[in-house]
This record gives sequence, structure tokens and C-alpha cells, in this order.
Amino acid sequence: MKIAVCIKQVPSTSAPLQLDAGTRWLKEGETTFETNAADNHALEAALAIRDQLGGEVVVLTLGPERATEALREALAKGADRAIHLVSDQAPGLDPATVASLLASALAGEPWDLILCGLQSDDLGHGQTGAFLAEKLSLPQASIAAALEVTAEGQARVKRELEGGWYQWLELATPCLVTIQSGINKPRYAGMKGMLAAKKKPIVKQPVTEYPAGLTRQSIDELYYPHKAKQTRMLEGSPEAVATQLVAALNLRARP
Amino acid sequence: MERERLDAEAVIVGGGPAGLACALRLARLVAEHNAQGKTPGIDPEGIFVLEKAAELGMHSLSGAVMDPRALAELEPDYIAEGAPLESPVTEDHLYYLGATSSHRLPFMPAALRNEGNHIISLGRLVQWLGGRAEAAGVNVFPGTAAVDLLVEDGRVCGVITDDKGLDKTGEPQANFEPGYELRAKVTVCAEGARGSLSGQLIKHFHLDSDSNPQAYALGLKEVWEIPAGRVKAGTVWHSFGHPLSGTLQGGGWMYALSETRLSLGLVVGLHYADPAFQPHTALQRYKRHPLLAGLLEGGSLLRYGAKTLAKGGYWALPRLSAPGALLVGDAAGFLDAMRLKGVHMAIKSGMLAAEAAYAALCAADEAGTDQALAGYRQSFEASWMKTDLWRGRNYHQAFQHGTARGLAASLVQGFRGRQGNRPAHAYLRPGTAAPAAFGPDGKLTQDRLTSVYHSGTGHREDQPVHLKVVNADQCQQCHGEFGSPCQHFCPAGVYEWEAADGGPGRLRINAANCLHCKTCDIMDPYQNIAWTPPEGGGGPQYEGM
Amino acid sequence: MSGGILVIVESVAEGISRASLEAIAYAQGLGGPVKVILPGAANQTQADALAALAVDEVLLADYSYPEGAGAGGYDGDGYVAVLAEAVRRLAPDQVFLAHSYGARDFAPRLAARLDLTLVSDCIGQEGEGDAVAFLRQMFLGRAQAKVKVAGEGPRLVSLQAGVARLEDLRRGSTPAPVSRTSLAMPAAPRVAAQAPLREGERSVDLSQARIIVAVGRGIKTQENIALAKKLADLLGAELAASRAVCDEGWLPIERQVGSSGQTVAPALYIALGISGAVQHLVGMKTSETIVAINKDASAPIFKVADYGIVGDLFQVVPALIAALEAA
Repeated sequence: MKIAVCIKQVPSTSAPLQLDAGTRWLKEGETTFETNAADNHALEAALAIRDQLGGEVVVLTLGPERATEALREALAKGADRAIHLVSDQAPGLDPATVASLLASALAGEPWDLILCGLQSDDLGHGQTGAFLAEKLSLPQASIAAALEVTAEGQARVKRELEGGWYQWLELATPCLVTIQSGINKPRYAGMKGMLAAKKKPIVKQPVTEYPAGLTRQSIDELYYPHKAKQTRMLEGSPEAVATQLVAALNLRARP
Repeated sequence: MERERLDAEAVIVGGGPAGLACALRLARLVAEHNAQGKTPGIDPEGIFVLEKAAELGMHSLSGAVMDPRALAELEPDYIAEGAPLESPVTEDHLYYLGATSSHRLPFMPAALRNEGNHIISLGRLVQWLGGRAEAAGVNVFPGTAAVDLLVEDGRVCGVITDDKGLDKTGEPQANFEPGYELRAKVTVCAEGARGSLSGQLIKHFHLDSDSNPQAYALGLKEVWEIPAGRVKAGTVWHSFGHPLSGTLQGGGWMYALSETRLSLGLVVGLHYADPAFQPHTALQRYKRHPLLAGLLEGGSLLRYGAKTLAKGGYWALPRLSAPGALLVGDAAGFLDAMRLKGVHMAIKSGMLAAEAAYAALCAADEAGTDQALAGYRQSFEASWMKTDLWRGRNYHQAFQHGTARGLAASLVQGFRGRQGNRPAHAYLRPGTAAPAAFGPDGKLTQDRLTSVYHSGTGHREDQPVHLKVVNADQCQQCHGEFGSPCQHFCPAGVYEWEAADGGPGRLRINAANCLHCKTCDIMDPYQNIAWTPPEGGGGPQYEGM
Repeated sequence: MSGGILVIVESVAEGISRASLEAIAYAQGLGGPVKVILPGAANQTQADALAALAVDEVLLADYSYPEGAGAGGYDGDGYVAVLAEAVRRLAPDQVFLAHSYGARDFAPRLAARLDLTLVSDCIGQEGEGDAVAFLRQMFLGRAQAKVKVAGEGPRLVSLQAGVARLEDLRRGSTPAPVSRTSLAMPAAPRVAAQAPLREGERSVDLSQARIIVAVGRGIKTQENIALAKKLADLLGAELAASRAVCDEGWLPIERQVGSSGQTVAPALYIALGISGAVQHLVGMKTSETIVAINKDASAPIFKVADYGIVGDLFQVVPALIAALEAA
């Protein structure tokens, strides 16, 4: 099984964001980056399938030089090799452009399975995987909450629907699956993995040409959500405030 | 438990300035050794650095004004090679602060002069050193904590690393990965102040039997972005006085990394009497002083952090080696308290330890190894580190009862014989008064949890609590006698006393907020809290600190 | 015809999805002609529901596979095929749809098929014509962006649940014309779908909840959570919690809101006994309406609240339950 996993490095979610109004991005020097959560689950899904069926797992990222760290970590967890499309402009590219660049990078090899995280924790478009499937003319299953692949090349995907519903899909490889966070418990990069990662190849391909006319979305302004709130304090007995609140919000008990 | 085994020549616990300087120097010595075909051959890939932070530098925190002396010895071409020095020191001020007044001292004590020194971000320097070390063949393992010392037949033969993937109750999850048994001929403890492994080493081999109890201070730091035009890059301020008085000894700093980026903070000696003292609030009061408030107005807080430092000085140094092991940097207590500087000593001690470790790796037998490691003490005694530490050998002791009494005592400390001191927590006096109320404004001043948010700290949620309360009943007693000082001294609000209606209250531990500063381990009056490493990769994100 | 707005709607068992109806209300609010298209099989109830709205045309765009394969269920390939055909033919200025789980599957592929750009998960827009900027949340709701779109062709925009109010959905005075089409898919289906299933243990997706009742340390004991649960059930709300409560194990970690839990922005967020540490606030402060009930008048939660009640939640919540039951 030859599996590609697309991963992205995103700002850490546990520290405050330091927005840069000038660049309409973050202050990179003040920001810690980490691998996108859903992509970690996608990587784990890929490694588990490879461990079961054999083959190789290749991780691919599009990002600035710093994103190599995410690839190194993936290699330490057990991916076999890595491809880094190096672009300082990556954070400002729209999903169509990103997917086109990824598609070109993947086009040269016969993949059985391509896995992507459902969406990124920074831009949050949630488009790259599906866009990529279309670009590569692959059948796709999205928002996978479970994924099984047989040695015969048949994939079974438990697709998450809204409101607690799921649906099993069957599709033949080659195909693309987008992975929901929480589908598995990603493994750790152990010390042996980190040692082994040093000997695994990371191919760096600088992005020099961008598909013309594709980056159509641009961030015009980036800001902290501010909501000038007027807090209305409700006063009186518990019964009085309860009545006021029910009236103010037009609250109803669900039948 | 079944553990995988790994073998190394030398394992260095802690990827700070001391550990990385040690690794880098050792790697260079080994490369030269092998290039000259000397025997025995030493595995050039056998130098391991374990770092509990997810990335190098993320747990490094210092002011910092660095004396480049040691870095120049380690990497003579450090400037040409792009070492990240934010700004040379251009102005050097010393203030005495009243509650609202400030008085610049007309003279600068020799020990505090910073001509030729650089303002740095220690985290960035560490990342640079890490890059150099890796290029020299060192294997750095981020997100990996050493939790236990491996001692066999009276010698240290390596460490056990952290188990990963345990749930809250200590049960393995699906992705459980047991820690490694990492064996090495030489183990170097470079964890910084009050390291848990260093503690095991010192205790097991009684390395501190002839030393003063180690003394500590807690440093709280913020990085701010401010409008340009208020301060010149390279400006260094130190202050004493407000907000610390009585038995509180310490002072403030403000370093201009650039015209728009400031490092500021407060260092408080952990030998105060008032159990209700809140270092975090003291930092907020410090920022409210007009000298600081004027600089910071309209600016924004970028980062917050806190870390303890060892400042007991020469007489608090433990013996520096045990069979198979060495202590370096803050883990040993190498900090010049009189000059408020430790980075240069961390680097220098790492280099000296590397030379001893190299000699040990060349030795034919265990006796030769131990003799080589013991040579580290001699090379320290012969170095400029000794000269500097000797000059201030009674400095901390002079200040142990506060700044006011210390100023006079410090003038004569150099002429007195060995002075003693108590362990940090023993200065606390019983009392259960609540601290004075403080209302942060959310701009210049923050509440503790907002500050913690700015540290970027995070730990995987579902893991065993890494702050171990040895005896929960003692917490009740402590609450009655000292009013649970842990809820006050912790700069991250990890500890909270929850009163219960009618019954006894209980201590609540928000372990995920921990900044790894070790204050609780040091200051608990009953020594009832043990700081142990959480799962590797957790903890603060001191980007640019 | 060209220009105007096309709204892609999705069916649910009972009719049209709520989020799709909100998307129609949103489009109606912008003015100009609105057509709606329902891809896949449509029953009469669904057709009637759409025709009753104040829209210019309802298109029921089904597809079929050779020999009846794959009939009935959702099929991304079928959706993309019929929608691509309709967008090409109708050439609308803008295409709106709900940012549903289904849309995440087919909408990017539709954009790719047509060489269009898709602005996803929008919470509104500013300006008109070429100067229009779409508002998006970024960094898990911790920042917002105004996004401009360049280039030719219809703008494809998916909308976050709650951007428009269902009460604003306008009905037509006469039924809108309905057309039914069916596209013959050229090859066999690539994906075989089984019937949807619901898991015994319902999984939690707080981000989809319209109303959230969240409890903090003020709830005091695990037993007291039943009180909050009662209020949540009454309102049809999801139960959520601050970290302190999940740390205690009183509620599972997937119900945790905040920087180490989920980020949510429901229409209504009721915070019971939550003081409002910044770590919690970043996870919920973009909620449309926030109600805070807390004993401590200086609790930071009141700074982000629309309605504040300083009081004992053990008195206020039972009163609220009683008022709801009486209403």
C-alpha cells in the first residue's frame, strides 16, 4: 500500500495569537507552530494501515522552511519519507492553489491512498482534501471517523454526518479520504523513531511557480473578534430574573 | 515493565545552555579524537541530549543580559556564525524605587556593569546552540523527559525516560509507549534549578553533605511590545525597592531588546517570611510603578513566564560529580548572584564537564572513569568561575533576611568566613492572613490565569498529575498553620484551596497550568509537594523568552 | 438567465435541513432573484416546502446511475455533476450553501470542477459588488478575517450555521415554479453508501449545537450536574463544561469548552457557575448571545455576557426551569 499523507504546520492552539495587522498574518517570530491536529490523526491512520498491510507512508507538506519540523516529527513517528514544497507564501495561498500545488507534487507517483486532515486549525477552510480529490480525479470519502483498508485494495470509511449519525462507505483504491480528529490515538515519536528519522529523506522542492489565476482569495483584514457588548444585568428574586430572561430571549421549552 | 534499551556514550539531561554547551564541546572533542585515530573509538552519534520541552528553547527563560565570555570560548566565531544576540547593552541604569518615585543611582556597582554584554533571548540562543550541536553530530531528543536515575552497584549508568500515553489513573492507553532504559557511560544533569533528576543524584550520593542548603529565587518575566520612540535599544535597567520590602529581597529589570520589544520582570528571593506573599501580584505592582507604566502604556503583553534560579553561591555548591555522573549549570548552582548572571556560567560549566566526560570516555576502566569525572571539580576550582563565585561567596547569605539588612551586610561579605543559610521554605513564618486584594486592569496588569495563557503552557489533559502531594493530611495542617502558601507562591495558580461548607477544605491542583518553575517543590513549608516531570512535550512555550 | 443568487440546499429525512433554510433566508436578505437547487432525490414534501418560499424557482436536480445503481443515498459524484451543470447553465453571480458536513464533501469538488473559488464557513459579508468582503473566523474562532475574492465567475460561499435567522425566512404569496431534472451519470458509482446509522452512545459535536448550557466549578458536585442537564434537555441544548469540571471527571473531556477543549459559537450560551478564565473565554466568546449566572459579580464571564445574573445558580436555575415549563 502506497500512502501519501498531506500535513500542515499551524500555530499552537495553547498560546495567545499574535496577529500582525501589516502582513495580515501572525507575528511569526512570536509564534510556536505544531502539526495540525487532524493531520496527526491522518498520519496515524496511514501508519496503522501500513503496519497492517505493508508498503510505505510518504508525508507531504506545503509551507515555509519552518514546516520541515512537522515532517521530521512525522518521520520520527514512522513515516518513511517526506516531501516539502517550500514556499514562504504558503500561509497566504487559498485552498485551490494549495490543492493544485499538492496535486502536481503527487502526480508523479501511483498512490493507493491519499489521506488529509479534515481541516486546518489556522485558516480552517476545510477544502484542501476534497479539492485535491477532484484535481486528481480520485473518488473520495470525507470526515472519516473510521477507516479500514483491505489487502485487495477496498476501503471502508465510516463517514460522520451531523447530529450523531454515521454512514459506512465503500470505495476502491486509489482514493482520497479526509480524516476527522479523534479517529485514533496518534502514536508518539519515541527516541528510536527520532534516531531513525535522521536517516530518512526529506526532499525539498522550492515552489517557484504558482498556478496562474488560482489564488483568488486574499485576506483584506485580520483582527481579533471584538464584540462591543452591553451586558444587561438582570436583578430581583430568582423567579423574577428567570422570568425576565425567558422573556428577553424568547426561550421555549422544547416539546 | 518491559522497556526498550538504548545505549549512548553520554546522556545529557536538559537542553539548556549548560547541557547544549556540554554536548557541543563533547561532540567536538570526540570528533577530534576519532579524526586522530585515537583509541578507544568513541561513537560520534553517542551523545544524547534529552529535553522535556516539545522544542529546544521552549522551557528556557532568563532576563537576559549575557556576558559573552563563555560563549566566546565555546564558539569563538559566534558573531560571524549569527548567534542571536538581540542588542548590545547601550545604557545601564540602576534605580531605587519608592511606591511611585524613582531615584537613579549616580554610580554603578562594578558587579552590575554591563559594558560589552548583550541582551539576549535565552530561548533563541538555546535554539542556535542546539542547531550547532546537531550539526556536530549530537542527537537531541525533544519532548523526552528523564524521570529516573539508573543506579547500579553504586554508580550511575543512565536514566529512564518518561512513559507516554498514560491516562489520568496511570493506565496505558492505546498509544502507550513505555519510557526507555537509556544507558550511558556518563550522565550529565543539566536540568536547571531544582531538577528532579539532579535532586535524585544529589540525594543518592549525598553530594550536598558539606554544602549550605541551596538557595533560590523566583524570576517572573514578561515580554512586551511597545510603541517606538520611548526607549533606546540596548537599554538596561535594574531596580530595587518597590514592590519588595521587609524580608522580601530581590529586584526588577527592564531590558530593551529593541526599540519596541521589552523584557521586564522581577526576581524574588525565595527566603521570605510572609506565607501570603504572591510573586505574581508583586510583578503586577512592579508594572504599575510610573517608571514602567509609562513605557508600557498602549503596548501589549506578548509572553509571560516564571522560573526559579539557584543562587546559594559557592558554599551551596554540591560535590559536582558522582560515579558515572556530573552536575552542570543551575542544576549544580552555578550562578553569580552578585552579578545577576548565570548563562555564562552554565555554558562554562558545560564545557568543563564535557572535558571531564571526554576523559572519562577515554578511560580504560571504571576507576579511571570516576577519576576523570572527579577532575571536573578541579578544573572548576582552577577556572574563572571559581574566582567569580568566590568573590560573592557570602552574598546570598547577606541578603537572606531582606534587602535592607542585606545592603550593609553585603559590603563586608567578602571579608567574612563561611556564612550559613537555612533551606528556602524554613524562612516562612506561620500565619493565615489573606493577601491584600489586587484588581488587575486587563491591560497593564493581568490576573494569574490570563498571564498563564500568555505562557502558552499546555499539557496533554488525560495524564497522571505530575505534582505529587506526598501526604494529603498535611495539607490540612498547613492550611491551618500557614494558610496554604502554595496557592499564593505559585506563579501559575496551579494550587487552589477549596473551602467546603462545614467540612475540611481540600487542595485542588490544576496541574495543566504548571510552568515547570519548581517553586512549589522549593517553598512548600512541609516539603510535601514533589515536582516530577509530566509527559514530555508538555509545559510552557517560551517563544522568544 | 444569468445573475442572481443560487442557493444549494440539502434534504434531511423530514424535509430541508435547517441550515439550508437559513442560507435561503440569508440570500433573501441580500435582495435580487433567488433560485434554489436541491441535488439528489426529492420527495413531494421537500418540493412543496421549497416552493412555498419567496424564491424565483426551485430546481430538483436528481441523477441516476446506469442500471439503477446507487439510487437513493447521498453521492458526492452525483451532487457535483448536477450542481456543476446547473451553475454553468444558470451562471448566477453568487452561490450560497450551508457549511454542512455534506457541503464539506461536495462543495470544494464543485469549485474545483468549475475552476471557481469557494469561500467556506462564512459568518457574513460587508460591502457590495466587487468590493464585497466575506467575514470568516480563523484560528478556531480566535481571529476574524475579511476575505476578498478576485477573478471571474460566480462566487461560491458556504455559510456557518446561524448566520441568518429562520424567523426571517420569507414565504411566497404564490408557489414558486418547480422543475425536475435527472442527469444520467455516465459510469457506475465510485462510492457505495450504506444507510445512515446512529450510534448507541451519541457522540458530541458541540460546534454544531444551537444552544449550549455550560457548567463551571460553581456547580460544586457531580450530583448537581443533573440540574444543568435538566435545563439543557428542556432547551434542546448540549451540555458543556469548563476545564475544572472535566478535570474532576464530572463530565467527559469532549464536552470541555476552551483553549484545551472545543471552540464553540452557538446562538445561545448559558454559563452556569463559570468564572470565565481567559482559557475558557477564547472557546466561547463569539457565541451570539451569552447568559452568565454566577455568584461573584466581579467574575470575568460578565465582561463577555449579554445577560448577567449575579446570584446562586442553585436558586436561579430551578426558577428558570419552572419558568420554561410554565411558558
